[in-house]
Amino acid sequence: MDADAARSQLAAALVRTGTGDRAALRIVYQDSSAKLFGVLLRILKDRSEAEDVLQDVYVTVWRKAALFNPEKASPITWLVAIARNRAIDRLRASTHARRSAPLEEAAEVRDTTPGALDMVVKAEQQARLGECLGELEEKTSQAIRSAFLDGVTYEQLAERMGVPLGTMKSWIRRGLLKLRTCLER
Amino acid sequence: MSDATDHIAPEDESRVLAAEYVLGVLGAEERRAVEARMAEQASFAREVEAWEERLGGMASYVTPATPPAHTWFRIQASLGAQPLTTAVPAPSIWQSLSFWRAFSLGSSVLAAACVAALVFVGTRPPPTLQPQTRDPLLATLTGTQTKMPNFVATIGADGHSLTIVPAALLTADKRSMELWLIPQGGKPASLGLIAPGAPVRINIPAELLKQVGSGATLAVSLEPLGGSPTGQPTGEVIAHGNLARL
Repeated sequence: MDADAARSQLAAALVRTGTGDRAALRIVYQDSSAKLFGVLLRILKDRSEAEDVLQDVYVTVWRKAALFNPEKASPITWLVAIARNRAIDRLRASTHARRSAPLEEAAEVRDTTPGALDMVVKAEQQARLGECLGELEEKTSQAIRSAFLDGVTYEQLAERMGVPLGTMKSWIRRGLLKLRTCLER
Repeated sequence: MSDATDHIAPEDESRVLAAEYVLGVLGAEERRAVEARMAEQASFAREVEAWEERLGGMASYVTPATPPAHTWFRIQASLGAQPLTTAVPAPSIWQSLSFWRAFSLGSSVLAAACVAALVFVGTRPPPTLQPQTRDPLLATLTGTQTKMPNFVATIGADGHSLTIVPAALLTADKRSMELWLIPQGGKPASLGLIAPGAPVRINIPAELLKQVGSGATLAVSLEPLGGSPTGQPTGEVIAHGNLARL
């Protein structure tokens, strides 16, 4: 199945899930759970917490699928946003300071052999994002990727990269605006 | 070095805030404030959605990981809410004519058995010698696809003997039906295999007794002959329901 077909299948299954079709939810789960579980594991760094949140995510998907608009959002992005929001809220709610992994350890694992699941993200859109991240200063691009993938706060990022909080905010905010401009070009 | 906020143009402030929310760098209170603003201001909500699209592609840097098989089972079991519109069930055993014939027969058997089970529970002599007497628990297990009651389970006043009365169905299916107890927020634990069409009495294992109570879920899955090989459900969930005090 090519990327467009995979994306259409997932979008169609989400739309049908929105009408209360449990068989469609199963398709959504089959096509996206490995990606979302990967995202959750990366943020939560704990298997059983990631399992809990994954369950929660698909129950949320079941309830909110009617709000998914295939003309405005890509299906995997919509699902990833729900999963990341849940995981980040879970992280923020835990009172204990999370272990802040050193940046080397936290450096993203680039998936060199993208599976069918990755094809669900629009290839050209993803390539463009990669290019635009590449146009930023290396440390800014690294901070933005690390923030997205690990769900860490400004404070934790500043600590990890050994810079003052104000500097980290400055890098990221300016980086995000540049990214926006680049993506709109 | 001065703070970045000094350099951000006013029209960019809300763009940056939306981006910070999506990126995930904000604390809990700031996140709630952003969500409140999204609810009030449609243009801001659209900005957040646009950032989700812009940044979402970074998820492709994450290595996928297959979740354990029981996660799907737990998701299915926790979809309590009825769908907004009537689902069109996938073609399955539930749609075959012979099944429906068997089911209509089974339903009356089920209804009778249901009454019998209630009478059985209701007429039990008060267990005066049992200090741990509790109100009986009842669960009606409805079909995942059909939303029709398929099984009735009762847990007697002694708290550990479970009687499950299945409708006469699925006799043609070679797979075994396995009954699971899912405590609130917990993993499924097997209560054993149940026979199609015959009431089964199960003694709940002592280590699970604490998990039995209102709010726990009972579910039936189809497993390979002899039951799940893994100790966790592996097959389709055909019915589930919550336990509640009578």
